[in-house]
Amino acid sequence: MIRIETQTRPEGDQLLEIHGVKKSFGGTVVLDDVSLQLKRGDIALVVGANGSGKSTLLRCVAGLTRFDGTARILGADPRSAARQGLIGYLPQLVALPEAVTVGEVIAFFARLRGVSLRRPTDCAAAVPLPDGFLPGLDRPIGALSGGMRRRVALAAALIGSPPLVLLDEPAASLDEEHSASLWETMQALRAAGGTALIAMPLMVTSLLRHDLAAVADRAVLLEQGRVVHDGSVESLRPAPPLGAHRLMSVGSR
Amino acid sequence: MNLRSVTAVAAWELRLAVRGRLVMGTALTFTVVCVLATLLGLRSLSALGLAGVGSGTGALINLAILFPPLMGMMLGANSLSSARERSLLPLMLVQPISRLDHVTGVVLGLVGAVWLTIGFGFGASALLLAGVAGTADVAGLLAIVASALGVGVVAVALGVAISALAGSRLQALGLSMGLWFLFAFAIDLVLAGVAGAVHLGPFGLFVGVLLNPLEAGRVLMVLASGGDALTLGPFGAYLNVTIGTAHAALAVCASLATWTVLSLLMAWAGITRREP
Repeated sequence: MIRIETQTRPEGDQLLEIHGVKKSFGGTVVLDDVSLQLKRGDIALVVGANGSGKSTLLRCVAGLTRFDGTARILGADPRSAARQGLIGYLPQLVALPEAVTVGEVIAFFARLRGVSLRRPTDCAAAVPLPDGFLPGLDRPIGALSGGMRRRVALAAALIGSPPLVLLDEPAASLDEEHSASLWETMQALRAAGGTALIAMPLMVTSLLRHDLAAVADRAVLLEQGRVVHDGSVESLRPAPPLGAHRLMSVGSR
Repeated sequence: MNLRSVTAVAAWELRLAVRGRLVMGTALTFTVVCVLATLLGLRSLSALGLAGVGSGTGALINLAILFPPLMGMMLGANSLSSARERSLLPLMLVQPISRLDHVTGVVLGLVGAVWLTIGFGFGASALLLAGVAGTADVAGLLAIVASALGVGVVAVALGVAISALAGSRLQALGLSMGLWFLFAFAIDLVLAGVAGAVHLGPFGLFVGVLLNPLEAGRVLMVLASGGDALTLGPFGAYLNVTIGTAHAALAVCASLATWTVLSLLMAWAGITRREP
């Protein structure tokens, strides 16, 4: 059983508001008039094919990239929200330094988040993930597999239980057991009033949509930077015949 | 500025640096070369003392001017650019820490690594000199070390600025090596070549020194090691007559401080404007 206590704030229920977000790289439009609102406790999947703008959307919300339009996290612009510790973010690909141990990574991010760790064993307690999700605290990152490193990076994103969690393909390289732990954690996060925006590739979402429906309230489908569907996860289904993994909204045909 | 965040980042960077091959390799090489230079110059050092600026002192000063700055610039150049390429920078910048605090922490951590290297090298030299050195020499050695530490700060700050502005890690490393070569050798050669032709004069040379942090460090070390400005030849005689040794040392310190602050500001601007 995972218990998560998210940071609480007195403001209203609206946690994330995105209006008319546009982003281009050179002449290529990556996000085109994207609008989205998340209430406290919402878990939303951002689904799309490669290059549909999922990661860019998360980077905009994290304050890592400039964009046209507005994004507010509890009323603050993304950079201010990050400085206030309101955002936890897991990039799509992150290479943690190999010379440090798991415990040192956790202790470092905990220190930045103002989470007090008196003993090394407090590291595990500071991370709102099931027992056994984190590899051994004294193991060097360089000795870990890709999936294990991903778990450490995920833990770093969740330290301090920030109100808004942005996860870019968090289940990538995780095995079945740890994927299940991840989704269990997301359910606990939701139960605790935490909010998450999770970018997921089309194929995985297609295959797991029944399981993901138990985790996420909504799925936002992006195509070429535009929101083409915003509804329940179950309302997405594979479109026959050849595009077996191509998701469409139920009502789109 | 949030001291807790700055120290957390500094401790993290220092830990990563001292566990890296670049720092360990450079520290070892620097120590060995310092020991060799001290042994080779022991005769002049015991005869003249550090303040005499014989071959021993000269070798130590040149080592302090070449090795630690190169290491500092490379470490600095590798810092943000490498973190950006590994997607570690976005993870860091989403933490509750300002970009200025982040840059300051990175610089401080890497300065710690450079200072450790300088400590190893000059520590070994000090042990060798202990038998032959007088009290004035101890003060002179400490002054050289302090000057070297100052130049190390400038080098790291410059490297981090390059790292923040460069397009890639490779570009940052190339630029930092090029800049180090420019400061360590090229500017001297150019000044030596054109000084007569363009009538730079002693004042022009002094401005040239202030614009080159490594040369400024070298002049500071000579002045701080106990020698007066006359040790620097006709140029030093000019400094002695016009502003005096103490003021010349102050001007050089101000130059190093300015280089550091400007580099920090450039790094901060780079990390703020560029998307990680």
